[in-house]
Amino acid sequence: MKILVAAFAIALAAPVAQAAEPAAVEVPYRLTDTKHVLVRVKLNGQGPFNFILDTGAPAVFIPKKIAKKIGLELDDKGWGHFDSFELEGGLKVLKASTRVADLFQLEGMNGMGLAGVELHGVIGYNMLARFRITYDFTQDKLGWVPLKFEPPAIQSVGKGGEGQGSLDMMGNIAKMLAGFMGIKPNFEIYSAGFLGVEFEEKKSGLFLAAVFKDSPADKAGFKVGDQLENFRNSSIDDMGDFRRAITKTRPGDEVKAVLRRGDETKTVSFTLGKGL
Amino acid sequence: MRYLLLALSFASLAPAQEPKKVPPLEEAKAIVVPFELLSSGHFVVKVKLNGEGPFRMVFDTGAPLTLIDTKTAKAAGLTKKGGGGNGGLLGMFTGGLNQVEVPKLQVGDALAEKTPAVVMDHPTVKAISDAYEEESGPINGIVGFPFFARFATTIDYQKKQMTFKPNGYKPGDYLQDMMNSMMRAEERNKPRIVSPGTVWGFTVEKESKDEATGIDVKQVFEDSPAAKAGLKLGDRILTIDGRWTDTLADTIIAVSRAKPGQTVPVTLKRDGKEVKIKITPQAGY
Repeated sequence: MKILVAAFAIALAAPVAQAAEPAAVEVPYRLTDTKHVLVRVKLNGQGPFNFILDTGAPAVFIPKKIAKKIGLELDDKGWGHFDSFELEGGLKVLKASTRVADLFQLEGMNGMGLAGVELHGVIGYNMLARFRITYDFTQDKLGWVPLKFEPPAIQSVGKGGEGQGSLDMMGNIAKMLAGFMGIKPNFEIYSAGFLGVEFEEKKSGLFLAAVFKDSPADKAGFKVGDQLENFRNSSIDDMGDFRRAITKTRPGDEVKAVLRRGDETKTVSFTLGKGL
Repeated sequence: MRYLLLALSFASLAPAQEPKKVPPLEEAKAIVVPFELLSSGHFVVKVKLNGEGPFRMVFDTGAPLTLIDTKTAKAAGLTKKGGGGNGGLLGMFTGGLNQVEVPKLQVGDALAEKTPAVVMDHPTVKAISDAYEEESGPINGIVGFPFFARFATTIDYQKKQMTFKPNGYKPGDYLQDMMNSMMRAEERNKPRIVSPGTVWGFTVEKESKDEATGIDVKQVFEDSPAAKAGLKLGDRILTIDGRWTDTLADTIIAVSRAKPGQTVPVTLKRDGKEVKIKITPQAGY
């Protein structure tokens, strides 16, 4: 009997542990200044829109203006059903549905630029429960494993119905701040100026490991093996020094660099390019 | 539209907030904690504060703070740090939130020491608590970011359980960070210049009227990492490491997340077909 039980246990355990499980989809995320986990989503092919992952919210919520923009209509129970809901990272959520409401908490945060980005919506229980999600802020992606599981339908609590538990907290803070600030939720992004070189960091300094043909650095006379001693009047000992100097530039800026080749040093002036 | 697309995280770009390097913690064991799913869609975990309890608290990934109601805080002997509370400017900004440091906060066997919490009788918590008090007992607060950020946290609604693996991440002090963030308000409205620290060897361009997904490659430098990977003039880049590249700003961000020598999958549209290549950017500019 004991043996039978043991055998049964093994037979049961082994296949369960090995059961073919869909691999986790890696979803890029950003942690906002307000410590919210933000993912980007394309709704009906439009966007991307910024959503907060919130287990304290009962459902997906989008504001009215976005519902209108993507042509979403509500059914008689007040739910909108997306034709497509795609998370950055390539995860397409089938049969995704949403509530439509202008959450004052998101408006509050947006009005003051508190999160550092414009927030468009919230992903709550009705979608989150369909995945096993791993949050690890030492990694730059979340893991989403689809579950074969239909989460039980929600019931609203109290008079308020769909209270936005955790976001309420932000609402309180946001209200205290109203009027203090006039911060835009978004700002423009530029890349620094482009040289077209690969660097090698050595004990004696920063050296050119590659110079791409026809790149701004090539045209200025940079050669593989040269040591970059000075850039924009900053002396350069390592990548960190160079990063600090280049981050102050934009494509099209005129710059001066000092190169050492053997016993000679050479000062060159050139225009930074646009490139990655 | 442009603004939407430029809604790129300040948080992820600020050098001070680059993901912190931590030693691998593979030996760290996963701690499994069951939870109770409420019909409201919230879920509740048992929490010990300073060894007192268990108390029942809502677990909430959208909560930047951990909240404890007044009665529970008193029962667990939690008092304001320093006695003075959040006075001065910080107090003014945060509406005098009563922040305490919890010496030991345990969710099941997952332990966070010296974690901040705000003592507050929050109306939403009370509403949920009132709704479920008869059925399963009162709810005493919310477990939020300052706790779960210290772990690789996995939530499984099907099994009604969470797993926690300590990951060495330091969540910092929310109120202080928020304060600093507001102090940078002026700086925030300026354009942000990103220098990735990796060189790929291509340029991209997108016309303002072009609203389709992806971005066009305008130049690929000979012998660069992009050229070696087979990127070609006229390719349309759809994603870099899973990140959408629908605008120049998006592309800059996606590129800036890679480290020198890291091999990154890139999805392209070439001659109407989707093509996947791998680029290994190098240290450079």
